[in-house]
Amino acid sequence: MNESFVRFTHADLVAIAPEIALVATGCLILLVEAFAPRLRRWFATLALAGVAVSLYFLLHAPIGTTFGGRYETSSLTQLVGLFLGGAAVLAILVAKPYLERTGEERGEFYALLLWGHVGVSLMTRGLDLLIVFIGLETLSLAFYVLAGIFRRISASSEAALKYFLTGAFGSAFTLYGVALLFGASGGTRIEELSSPGLAESNAVAFGLLLLLVGFGFKMSLAPFHAWAPDVYQGMPTPAVAYLSVAPKGAAVLVLFRVFGAVFEHGMPDRFRTAIAALAILSMTLGNVVALAQRDAKRLLAYSGIAQMGYVTIALAVFGRDALAAVLVYFFAYLVSNAGAFAAVSALYRDETKPHPVGLLAGAGRRAPFASAVLALCLFSLAGIPATAGFIGKFFLFKAALEQGFYALALIGVLNSLVSIGYYLKVVYILYMRDPVESDPPPPLAPADRLALALCAAGILALGIFPSSLWEIARHAAATLPLISP
Amino acid sequence: MDALLRDHLLTLVVFVPAAGAALLLLFPRSAPAAARNVALAVSILDLALSLPLWTRFSVVSEGFQFREKVDWIPQLGISYSVGLDGISLLLVLLTTVLTPVALLFSLSHVEKEVRGYSVAFLVLETGMLGSLVALDLALFYVFWEVMLVPMYFIIGIWGGPRRIYASMKFFLFTMAGSLLMFLAILFLAIRYHAVTGVWSFALDDLYRMTFTGRTETLLFLAFALAFAIKVPVFPLHTWLPDAHTEAPTAGSIILAGVLLKLGVYGYLRFALPLFPDAAMRYAPWLGVLGVIGVVYGALVAYAQHDMKRLVAYSSVSHLGLVVIGVGAFTTMSLSGSILQMINHGLSTGALFLLVGVLYERRHTRELDAYGGVAAVVPVTTALFLIATLSSIGLPGLNGFVGEFTILLGTWLSPHRWWTYAAATGVILSAIYMLTLVQRVFWNPFAHEENRELTDVRPSEFIAASVLVVLMVWVGTRPNDLLDRIRPAVETLQKNVASKQIASVKP
Repeated sequence: MNESFVRFTHADLVAIAPEIALVATGCLILLVEAFAPRLRRWFATLALAGVAVSLYFLLHAPIGTTFGGRYETSSLTQLVGLFLGGAAVLAILVAKPYLERTGEERGEFYALLLWGHVGVSLMTRGLDLLIVFIGLETLSLAFYVLAGIFRRISASSEAALKYFLTGAFGSAFTLYGVALLFGASGGTRIEELSSPGLAESNAVAFGLLLLLVGFGFKMSLAPFHAWAPDVYQGMPTPAVAYLSVAPKGAAVLVLFRVFGAVFEHGMPDRFRTAIAALAILSMTLGNVVALAQRDAKRLLAYSGIAQMGYVTIALAVFGRDALAAVLVYFFAYLVSNAGAFAAVSALYRDETKPHPVGLLAGAGRRAPFASAVLALCLFSLAGIPATAGFIGKFFLFKAALEQGFYALALIGVLNSLVSIGYYLKVVYILYMRDPVESDPPPPLAPADRLALALCAAGILALGIFPSSLWEIARHAAATLPLISP
Repeated sequence: MDALLRDHLLTLVVFVPAAGAALLLLFPRSAPAAARNVALAVSILDLALSLPLWTRFSVVSEGFQFREKVDWIPQLGISYSVGLDGISLLLVLLTTVLTPVALLFSLSHVEKEVRGYSVAFLVLETGMLGSLVALDLALFYVFWEVMLVPMYFIIGIWGGPRRIYASMKFFLFTMAGSLLMFLAILFLAIRYHAVTGVWSFALDDLYRMTFTGRTETLLFLAFALAFAIKVPVFPLHTWLPDAHTEAPTAGSIILAGVLLKLGVYGYLRFALPLFPDAAMRYAPWLGVLGVIGVVYGALVAYAQHDMKRLVAYSSVSHLGLVVIGVGAFTTMSLSGSILQMINHGLSTGALFLLVGVLYERRHTRELDAYGGVAAVVPVTTALFLIATLSSIGLPGLNGFVGEFTILLGTWLSPHRWWTYAAATGVILSAIYMLTLVQRVFWNPFAHEENRELTDVRPSEFIAASVLVVLMVWVGTRPNDLLDRIRPAVETLQKNVASKQIASVKP
């Protein structure tokens, strides 16, 4: 059983080539930094090339499992890989001008981002809980460092420490959950969880709950969300653009995989209730607390907590259509949320200070493009039609109603009404309030402009022509052995 | 080109403004004059394109005309499906007339962020037209919500002192209703799929569904609430005076002229034929709310000191009358309601416009700040008087025909007493509107600064006289409109009746 882990076959190498490319690019960047620091301004390009090569390998890898059934290449992982790659590309594009502005343009930022990206990728492709856990830890370690990369700023150190402590806590939960599942099933492969009788075992139930808690931390799902606002506030904005999107998607996918394996014959009601309760709590708490936020990044953090609440509705609904809806939702969330952080990064001049929303007053006139994209992203997050966010909610609520979750859908919809309150508040400040700052915001760097244009195009394209993505998502969701009740 | 005009005329009419908005975004922000003229030109082009809809509309054929259908999200049976019947035809034309009128008025009065302003109006026009012609519920919902965003900006950026409060209230009120409707639309389609095994959001398909009991009631209420907020029906009207008072003049013209009608239109097109049993059960309530709206709106209007607020509350009253006609549900009352929506769009549009003319010169809308200005601004006074007479229903002008048809139609319905209340509203409207005219234009000349008032500019005069000409036309030849309305109303009643019979069967 262990042999397959030690001896790589050619197929194994081909399957893991996307991750190898990422790791190698990260190392290369560090080496270039050490030996030819003058090439610094090419780091972002290099990192983008690394992601591109990785995506090329991912999309051309043969479909199937490798490493003795522990590593998956399927249309599902490819689609999720595209989503993650998109997050990485946006983060790198935003990072370049951000790091130039702050005078911190060093290779380790890109290297850590790429390595964190490897971790997320492992989480989504691993069919073995240990691989998933290793991926989770790789991600976490990289981002603990990224959170504290600006040593001079106290908020950054605070963010790093908070993220590390809560993250370690979350990892411990996850690991304990994995251990319990291992004990109950006799193996760490997710597939082995579907042996008969396990679904009723208390150890498995407890293990699953612990996993839910552990991944709930990563998803910043209430009540495991408390770290997110502080960490987002102190962490460099480009890293937040990635952290607030990609790992959440990966965590949800892992939960779908594990729950799908255990509950082959449908999810028992007590789990449904627990997950639904988490969804309601997260939506309500996120939206209500966001209303009171004055800092742009904290506001987006709470908005993210609420958005994960919506996603969790799909987890409670369960089944193929729910997973497909989640996939569409995450693509929408990628362009809207990463876009919003990209715009925030472009609109604030001084990175060492907090980002009060009030500072954006009048930005609609002084920085029209970034403001317009930010407004579009916020409308999309609020779920206004003709944007990607509406399409995400459309499929999500459709899946919920189809399975008879009327109350959940109703609470979700009422919550999105509450959310309009704070999304519109930002739009109001952007366009309807007179500026408090006399200096214009920094000129928009080409990379920022590209990232924002990509997000805006994505929001509109997905919002107006959603059918092909829905088709792909449904096809991809069908690769998981999920019950469609 | 000919083929495009022949087969895709409706699509062209709907999307030309949006294309114009996209074009405007390519213009530099520093060229306000260009943005202004292009926006006006686009809206006039759209008006020109929409005229063939009127001439080529067949009075005899039943059902929807100018239909187009293209798959949009085929997996769920969602399509881009549009068409016109008599009801939507008139409202579409009202929209294509009022938008250039509003933009024409703005020519000389909007200085701030002209490009953004023009883009917002053009996007708004596409949203309104799209909601009026959509025959697919998902498509309708998209257009319905898309309207909100430009209107939010129009009130919020170019509005009066309390614009932030007003725009937020407008957005949240409307959104609260439409989100519940969103769930109801999804539920309808899911039920259709469960029954037939096929996905569809098409109105034709969903019309065939029958629901019973609590399900129907809840679905009906979800739809009705969204539309009642938009109209607005009595207890849900509080967003309207705020939005109207704070909106820039052009925004008020569109808001009163078209947006409010979409509530009634939505009720007639969706809530009523989809859930006829529940709609009939609640029709008396609707009528009662209409009666309250008529009287309450009129009384509150009488108490106003602000001209714009007065006209805004008069809208609550006038739309109450429209709601009564819908509640009475006779062929005549329904036709009257639809006609009255057009009339209200013309007369209230003109009133808001002319109030705007005064406001732009004196920067106040207080009644007491004027008085006796008829001598200074004779043309404005004449136009205002015509609009007032149209609004209070002077025979020969459009308002009379609409009100009379509604009253007669309601008298023929089982709810005869509504007619008395509605008639009070007509009388009250004469009182408050004539008081308005008297206090502003006629009373003894009170304020010296009004000596400096200038009369209408050419652009304002053209904008207002277009509306006046239409008022006279509708007032003297109402059958041109009623002939187009009647088949649509009869089809609606037939659909409702046949569904009611169907649902009586076990």
